[in-house]
Amino acid sequence: MIHALTSMLAAYVYHYRPFNDPLPIWTDARWPWLLLPLCIAVAVVYKSIRCKSMRRVPREAAGLVIVIILGMAAAAVALALVVRGLER
Amino acid sequence: MADASTSSLAKNPALIALAGWLVPGAGYLLLGQRARGLTVGITIIVLFFLGLLVGGVRALDVPGYGPHGKPLVAGWVGAGPDKEGNKTWEPAIKDTPPADDWRLEGWVLTTHPFEEIRAKPWSIAQVMIGPIDLFCDWWSVRVSQPSNPLVPHSPPIAARSHSRLNELGVLYTAVAGMLNLLAIIDSSHRTSGEASGQTGEK
Repeated sequence: MIHALTSMLAAYVYHYRPFNDPLPIWTDARWPWLLLPLCIAVAVVYKSIRCKSMRRVPREAAGLVIVIILGMAAAAVALALVVRGLER
Repeated sequence: MADASTSSLAKNPALIALAGWLVPGAGYLLLGQRARGLTVGITIIVLFFLGLLVGGVRALDVPGYGPHGKPLVAGWVGAGPDKEGNKTWEPAIKDTPPADDWRLEGWVLTTHPFEEIRAKPWSIAQVMIGPIDLFCDWWSVRVSQPSNPLVPHSPPIAARSHSRLNELGVLYTAVAGMLNLLAIIDSSHRTSGEASGQTGEK
C-alpha cells in the first residue's frame, strides 16, 4: 500500500494539481479503497446523531463501519454468484 | 443576557436549521452540544472536500452551466421549412448559441429550472452543504473555462474526471450533503427537547 502510494506520488508529483485534477488512480485495484473513508464518515455522522452520549460514538461508529464493509462484501459476493450463474 | 439569547435561539427550529445549513454542525453548537456539532460538522466538510479531491472540483456539475463554464441558454433553432414552406423551429439548449437561426428564450435555470435540475439531480444533495457548495460551484464553473480566454477551444483550466473517479467524487459530495440534511433535521428536532431539558450531551 505504501509502495503503491509513493510510486503514484512520484509519477504525478510534477503534473498532479490537487482539486483541479482528479486523483491519479488509474488501476481498478485501488479505487475500492476509496469507499473506506465514505463508510467511516457515514458511520461517524450517523452515530453522532443517534447516540445520546458522545463518549459512545467512537466504539459504536467502529462497529457500524465493520457492519457496512461486511454488508458490502456480502452484497458483492452475492452479485458475483448471480452473474456467474447467469453466465453459465 | 447571553443565556437568554442562547435559549431563545435554541427554541427556534428554523434558526437552528438555517445555522446548520450555513455551517455544517452549527445547529448543534447553538444548542450547546459542542462535541456533537464539531464531530458532525468537521466530518461532513472533510467528506465533501475529499470528494472534490478524488473527482476534482469539476465533479460538481452546476445547474445552469455547460461543460465549458458558460451559462446554458434555452432557445429555438431554425429547422428548415415544413411541407407548406413555413419556417420551423426546434427547442434547443446550448452554451454557445448559433449566430443565425436562433431565437433566444433565456437562461435555462430561469426558463426551464425543473428540467435543468432534474438533469443534474445530485446537485440537490450537494447544495445541502450550504454556502460551501455554492462557493465550490463557482470554483467549478470558473475552472471549466478555457485556460486561454483568447482561444475558445483551448483546454480548460481544470480537468474533468470520468468513470469511477467521477462517480466517487459525486458520491462523496452528495452523501456529505445528505448527511448534513440529516444533521439539520436532527438538530432542529432537538430544539423541543432542549427547551424542555430532555436532550443533553454527556
